This record gives sequence, structure tokens and C-alpha cells, in this order.
Amino acid sequence: MLNLILILTGKLLSFISVYLNLGNGSTWPGHIALNINPDFAGEILKKSKTKIILITGTNGKTTTAKILESILEKDGKRVLTNKSGANLLNGIASSLIMEAGANGKVNKDYAIFETDESALSEVASRLTPDFLIALDLFRDQLDRYGEVDTIYKNWKSIYSDLKGKTKFILNGDDPRIAYLGMETDVDAKYFGLDEPAFKTNIPQYAADSSICPRCSHTLEFKPLYFSHIGVWECPSCGLKRPRISLNKSPSYPLEGIYNIYNTLASVLTAQELGVEKEAIEKGLIDFKPAFGRQEELNIDNRKVKLFLSKNPTGFNESLRTINSLKAGYLLIVLNDRIPDGRDISWIWDIDFENLLKTKTTINLAGDRVYDMALRLKYAGLKTLNFEDLDEAINNVLEKVSEGETLYILPTYSAMLEVRKILTGKKIL
Amino acid sequence: MKSAISNQKSLIIGWLYPDLMNTYGDTGNITVIKKRCLWRGINAEIKSIGLNSNEKDLLSCDLLLMGGAQDTQQEIVAKDLKRKKDALKETIEKGIPGLYICGGFQYLGNYYKTADGHKLEQLGVLDMYTENPGRKRLIGNIAVETEIFGGKKILLGFENHGGRTVLGKTIVPLGKVLKGFGSNDKDKEEGAVYKNTIGTYFHGPILPKNPFLADYLIKKALEIKYGEEISLEKLNDELAEKARKTIAKRLSIAI
Repeated sequence: MLNLILILTGKLLSFISVYLNLGNGSTWPGHIALNINPDFAGEILKKSKTKIILITGTNGKTTTAKILESILEKDGKRVLTNKSGANLLNGIASSLIMEAGANGKVNKDYAIFETDESALSEVASRLTPDFLIALDLFRDQLDRYGEVDTIYKNWKSIYSDLKGKTKFILNGDDPRIAYLGMETDVDAKYFGLDEPAFKTNIPQYAADSSICPRCSHTLEFKPLYFSHIGVWECPSCGLKRPRISLNKSPSYPLEGIYNIYNTLASVLTAQELGVEKEAIEKGLIDFKPAFGRQEELNIDNRKVKLFLSKNPTGFNESLRTINSLKAGYLLIVLNDRIPDGRDISWIWDIDFENLLKTKTTINLAGDRVYDMALRLKYAGLKTLNFEDLDEAINNVLEKVSEGETLYILPTYSAMLEVRKILTGKKIL
Repeated sequence: MKSAISNQKSLIIGWLYPDLMNTYGDTGNITVIKKRCLWRGINAEIKSIGLNSNEKDLLSCDLLLMGGAQDTQQEIVAKDLKRKKDALKETIEKGIPGLYICGGFQYLGNYYKTADGHKLEQLGVLDMYTENPGRKRLIGNIAVETEIFGGKKILLGFENHGGRTVLGKTIVPLGKVLKGFGSNDKDKEEGAVYKNTIGTYFHGPILPKNPFLADYLIKKALEIKYGEEISLEKLNDELAEKARKTIAKRLSIAI
């Protein structure tokens, strides 16, 4: 009954707020509801018999959510999704208020929520998900999220709380993600890759868990795919990658090894939910990428491809993919605003030396354009530096001939700016 | 007649625990030292000093660099460093230049007190101690004024640390904090200098945007190795200057 009152009050508040032009009323009705009943969102979803799927990890949340959504929709299911962000629970509660009917239920089969690494404990304890997908743990915005170790400790306690209630879909090739599942003995299925052809021989200095999560000895990878991701084994205590339930997908909608992992995570979850093979295949084929994640835009018959690149591992993998596509035109945009992380020291962990073998000039822009220029200078690469992003895009696009592609690697806020300039309208 | 090759100078740069102590882009400091040597025709060999190295390896280095790390890694390194303590002390006392960042800096002190009150004994090479009160981490852009490198210079970078370091009477700070927090949130001082050893909380990493510090380390290392005064060829640091201006403007300071 309380929740029904909260829903109706929330709808009314939202209506008044829109009517009086007090803002778009997006998260504060949810904020109020959660203040009165902290379990509001979880209770509404349980009552509606909506299955809750949380996706967490440093890289790949948005893409994994999108692929899974595409598959479930092909299976004829109604799916509710939400973008990741600081006010995640408020946002979820607000969208439930808007979606709920007079019976206090939402008419959705599944709710897929992306959850930032640092918010997982709070969100999972309030929602008690049916599924939890953990993709990877890399260093990302150390100034905001803290070090990887701190996050790992928080996750461990929430895993134990969810034991017996939640099914875990985990990346078996990320040693810590895998070991957390093994150590807490939760009901888990693991995905992983067995493709020796994707092996890397370059030392991975930005790796965060090259040591055994049980005994701290240096791990061996046979092979290593990137960063600390691969078929791992500890030569000292014998701990090794758990048994893998899925190592292949019928097809892969996006380029890059990291997207193979995102696809495997989505397909394994779909299989565990009992989705038929045909729906999985169709969902993969009809998949449309999310904002800025290898999204392709057409500008006067020239293609622009956006590769959101916001931490060293993601950036390295973008470079590898771009190299394999033989990119001729490249623009890197580095911002240091709050959504990007204020600390840009991570650009020195990007392996430009080994991954960007090019003689072409690289175009640079963004709030910290000269820091990136300095980084590339020390990597022996030539750059053209623009203080103004508009000017950078126009200047580079002029050089691209019809039918050719410009590749843009932006940080998060830079990606929104680039899209705004390219599409001529603001995207939130 | 001497050939050009026999005149070529070379340095062995010891990188302490590269696979364990390398968080926050510390790799960049190695890149900068190496390139600034190579651009001047100085041969620079990077030698990794890790769990499998011995004291002799450490003593063979002309310049030492050590980065920061996360807790798990720091425990492993602390254990191993005890084995190499005497050699490290010897190099530092001999005046072998070194740059120790964050976790690497804290090791050099007398003790480190964790947020839950455990007092961990450190190497005791520098007269200082670090305590982590468990309060908020000190995070943000930082500017420090220093006169260690000849004339007034401003160091620019990014700090992110939980530990607060307090210096004893026998060592001097690296400089005075103009913007940011520094070694602790009280005395407005940052880092420490003892002989040619420099400890600091600067990430960023510190050397790319503060090339005068990189050159100071290279010069000292060469002077000690070759026993003669060295004057380094000037390099084009225009991009570093522009990157410095961006952050100085942000912090509203003149550089």
C-alpha cells in the first residue's frame, strides 16, 4: 500500500514539476520514494515479477546490456533498461514510478541495469538481482572510484550476501572476477575465450591483476589476450581458470577482443534464461551499437566511427581494433571533466609505442590536448593539436575523401561533445 | 683520436618492481628518462629490479625509480624490500639519484600506520613517518614551488593519497604547496629530499610536465658515474610548457 501511495505521489509530483516547468522531474520523485522506503525499487520489481539483471565491471557494461536487450526482445520479451550513473537507484525508482500502472506493477519481463563498480554493493543489496554479470576489473578513474583493491573488497561482501538468491555470470578469464566467484562459492557460470590466435606478446604494463588472487604469486597466462585477461594459472598454488561454460558465440556484432567478451557474457546469460538459439542468433544480427561504442555516423558520404576510450585497457583495445581496420584518419579527444575522471595520468599507461604503428599525423583535441600531445611525442608519433574541438573536427573532415572513414577516440564527455557537433543537436 | 662511440655515455636506470609498483601511470617517468637520454645520445638501459633480483643488481644502477601501488602489491614488495634494504640504503647514502613516488616514497620512512591502526615498520632510510588516518584521500591537481633544482621552479601534477607523511628534522621538503594538499593536510609542504633522493606524492606522472626534474636526475646520475661536471644539451620542451600552462591556468597560478 505504501508503495502505491509513493507511485501515485511520485507521478503527481512529476506532473506538477513538468507543468510548472521546474525541470524534467527525472530523478527526484525516485529520490523521495527511496527516502521513505529504501527498498521501493526492489519491491515494485518483485511484485511485477520482473527479473532483475545487474551488469557490472570497468569496461563493456553498456555494450553487454545492449546485446542482451536485443536478444531478449527477439525472444518476445519486454525489457526495461537504465543507464549507469551516480544516482542509479534514484533513476531506477523514478523510471518505475513513471512506468507503473494503477496496480503498482510495471509491465516488463526483464530489467537490465548497468551498475558502476563502486555502486554495486548499494544497488545489489537493495534490488537482490536474479542475475549478476561481472565483466572485468581494470583501473579506471582512480580519483573517483578508488583503487581496484578497494572495489574488490566491497564486492566480496555483497557476493556473500547474494549467495543462494542470485545467479552469477562471470568472466573466467579475469583472475579476480573468477576467483571471487570461486572463493565465495556462489552459483556461478563462467565465460572465457579459447582462441590462441588472439594471443598478445607485448608486455602489459597496465595490468592490475597479474598476481594470483589466492597466494599473490605471479600468474602464468597460456595465452594472454590483453591486460590481465587470458587463460590463467598459478604456478605456485595451482589455482587456475574455472571450468568455462561458453567460449564461442554464433556471431560477434562488434570489432575487438573486448567485444567478444561482452558478447559471450550476453549469450551465456540468455542461455541461462532459457532463450532459444534462434532468438540469440537474430538478436546478435540485429544489434545496434550504443552511443559512441563503435557507433558509425555518416557525414556527407564520409564515415565517422566513434570508439569511446576512457581507460588504458579500453584505449589499448581501441588502438588494436583501429590498427586492424587500417585507419587513415585518427582524432583523439582527451577531456578531464568529472565523468572522464580528473586524473589523466592513465594516458601514460596506454601502449602507443607498440599499438600505434603509423606514419600519418594524429589529430588531437580536448581540454588536455597538450598532455596527450606530450604523451605521443614521447611515443615518437607526430601530432596536429587543436585547442578547439569544432575546428579539429572540421579541419580533419575536410581531408577525408568520400567513402573514407575518420576514427575518433574520445573520453566520455568528449564523446558527447563530438556527437553534438556531428549531429548538430545536444545529446544527454 | 677518440671515436664518437667511445665517448658515448650510458646509464643503467633501475626500475623498482615494474610489475607491482606501477599504478597511476608511473610508467611515464621511465619513458621520459629513457627518451631524454636517447635524444641526447646517452645510452639508457632500463633494468627491472623485481622479486627475482638481488642486491648486486640494485647496486649496479646509476639512477633509481619507484612508483606507487595498491595494498596487496605493496605488502609483497615490503616483504621483498627487507632483503634488499642494505643495498638500497647504500645507494641512497652514496648519492645515487632516485625518484620515489607515493607508495615508493612511504617505504623510505620509519613506519607506516594503516587506517586500522597497524604500525608497519618501513626501511628507515629517510627520517620521516606516514600515517593513514582513514579520513578522505587527498586528491586533485597540485602545484609546488621548489628551489632544489637551481632557481625558483614550479612542479605541477596530480596527487591521490590516503597516507599523510610527516618529515623529521634531518631532511628537507621538496617544496612549498601553492595549490593542493601536499605530504599531509597540515604543514603545506610536499615531498622530501635527502642527498640526491627525491620522494613525492606527485602522480601525473611527475616527469613529463616537469622536464627540469627529469634532467636534474639524469645530470646527477651522469656526474656521479663519470666524476665530472655535466652540462646537458637543451631539448625542445614546448609541448610540456603548453601542457603546464593549461593546468596553471586552471589553478590560477603564474608559472
